Amino acid sequence: MTQTSKADQIADVLIIGAGASGAAVAWKLSEEGFKVVCLEQGRWQRPQNYVTGDADWELRALTDWSFDPNIRQRPEDYPVNDKDSPISPLMFNAVGGSTIHWTAHTPRMHPSDFRVKSLDGVADDWPLTYFDLEPFYDLNDEMMGCSGIIGDPANPPRSPRQMPPLGLGEDGKMLVEGFEKLGWHWWPSDSYVNSVPYGDDRGACNYCGPNGLGCKVKAKSSTDITYWPHAVANGVKLRTRCRVTRITVDDEGVATGADYLDRNGRLRHQAAKSVVLAANGIGTPRLMLMSKSDAHPEGLANSSGLVGKNLMFHPYAIVMGLFPESIESWKGPMGNIFMSQEFYETDSRKDFVRGYTYQIIRDTGPASHARGGINGPIPWGESHHDAFASSFGKSIGMAIIGEDLPEDHNTVTLDERLVDGSELPAPKIDYTLSTNSRRLLDDGIENARKVLEAAGAVDVTVNPLLRAGGWHLMGTARMGVDPEASVVNEWGQTHDIDNVFIVDGSILVTGGGVNPTSTIQALALRAADYIARERTEFRSESIAQAVAD
Amino acid sequence: MSPTEGGRLTEADRTTLATVLDRLIPAVDDLPGAGEMGLAREVERRARRNHRLRGALVATMDALSLDLSAHAAGGFNALEPEAQVEALEEIERSIPDKFTPFLQLVYTVYYMEKSVLEHIGWTTGPVQPDGFDVEPFDEAILVNARQREPFWRETE
Repeated sequence: MTQTSKADQIADVLIIGAGASGAAVAWKLSEEGFKVVCLEQGRWQRPQNYVTGDADWELRALTDWSFDPNIRQRPEDYPVNDKDSPISPLMFNAVGGSTIHWTAHTPRMHPSDFRVKSLDGVADDWPLTYFDLEPFYDLNDEMMGCSGIIGDPANPPRSPRQMPPLGLGEDGKMLVEGFEKLGWHWWPSDSYVNSVPYGDDRGACNYCGPNGLGCKVKAKSSTDITYWPHAVANGVKLRTRCRVTRITVDDEGVATGADYLDRNGRLRHQAAKSVVLAANGIGTPRLMLMSKSDAHPEGLANSSGLVGKNLMFHPYAIVMGLFPESIESWKGPMGNIFMSQEFYETDSRKDFVRGYTYQIIRDTGPASHARGGINGPIPWGESHHDAFASSFGKSIGMAIIGEDLPEDHNTVTLDERLVDGSELPAPKIDYTLSTNSRRLLDDGIENARKVLEAAGAVDVTVNPLLRAGGWHLMGTARMGVDPEASVVNEWGQTHDIDNVFIVDGSILVTGGGVNPTSTIQALALRAADYIARERTEFRSESIAQAVAD
Repeated sequence: MSPTEGGRLTEADRTTLATVLDRLIPAVDDLPGAGEMGLAREVERRARRNHRLRGALVATMDALSLDLSAHAAGGFNALEPEAQVEALEEIERSIPDKFTPFLQLVYTVYYMEKSVLEHIGWTTGPVQPDGFDVEPFDEAILVNARQREPFWRETE
């Protein structure tokens, strides 16, 4: 039997998911006096317990700290059927969500990314511009803490960064030479990694390397140590190990809250005046499709039929350069060296539209290197030791983050057989890499070869499509003006249900050619700002009055 | 050797696993091969804690036991080293979804071993709490990059 919240426990805003975007909304709305409850299926992480200080840290990356939930298989994870996708979705379920294991490489989307239909005749324009979003990028930078430097000619001018860039390292400097010989753009990456102490009890990066396993010194931003402490101090009730089973609606189809399984497996109901979905580009459409009702027979807010469609990843190709001498390429955060956007914008001479960013990446530890990290394992047998010795600490990589345009046959649906630990249907991914994306990646591979050879690489290896590369989950509840061609409006509010908002990567119209989290968080803050300004009826009178007083 | 029963390795399996480890990571300089180093026990112990890795280990061992050449010779250990390598190569081809995580486990256990880390010059142990020294960013390196005119695509 479902246990229902009492009248005085009705939340003004119920947020599903405590990751990158849910945390931002929780903080912003609690600052504005809203009574916020957040349900998160994962747990709090303790930075002091992160495994990079343990002797078996490289094994843990292969098991309970894997990026892939199908490998990690923690109780709070749900399986994903990715057999019909060449890319495996990656995510983490915890307070902080996937910011626990991201690299925190945080470039912004470009103005052109919001106008791809007008400029290039593909996909759709966004219902907002880069400059509409800019103040929220800035606010997010301040909350998360951004290392970087202004003046990048590939991007519009932006406000001063909170901290100077991270050190490039000897490997980074070597690759800079390659770009400079070719006269190609490079620039220190904006990163949500402290180059100097910043934030509450957060130290500077000590260049340990594998920040994808969590950061013990709290130099890398994750929302459990940035937004959440402030949100909790503001009174947000964050309930962990709570798995939402469906969003509930009344006879009119208006959201009334959510049913969820608490940490003891008991079915409960949280009543709310409004619901914000922040469960990532796979979790959110899964939950919407699980929330069918008489009022919403195709799933929550799915009159357009687009919930779960237009899944975009950023397909990654990886090009590794091998150098003759050690460049100690394990020193420093794995993905925050610098970037190049020489080929970011559409070039009419090429056989594809849109473009890509190069994110420069490092090796990590010996076992990871032997396993192949990102470009295939060192061979076993008699050649093993020579192959290891000739490559460990001598290679640096270029990740090509290509724009992946939306296609409605790339989908998230509910698997008919696979279920999670609570017997809820698992998501199924159907994804095909498009011809445009393939051509774009191939172009990136060829240009990366030129850079690496110009920098002095003696050998170049290519992974043309990284399977374990589905970090960015986007587009499955897209934003737009037309209710028949989109799921939410420019504020993340669903067209169908006035009091349901979506703030995660699901709402991206297109994905750009950059890591999307800072954009997702900026969109979340903008949606929260809209709720605070325009939807004051959600806010409890007593609290609203207290704030006014 | 018979297929592993219930996912548990027998003593014979363990002997075979040690030989497999020696073929995968042979001796080098003053270091013995991974099997001779006694890492089979650790591979088994680590695999026991993870469903996926346990499955990979058991599947690889079962495949070895069913290998026809090994069967004819009286077991994997009875094969010549070259034939053992061929048998492993065949398993790598036939069940890559199992062999790959098995190999990842073997590599990881090997490169966690102190004597191995000393041999390759990895003196730091775990990467935290000390991390590594990297020089702070020096803006002087941007002298050329700053010369370039803005080239982002304007939209309005």
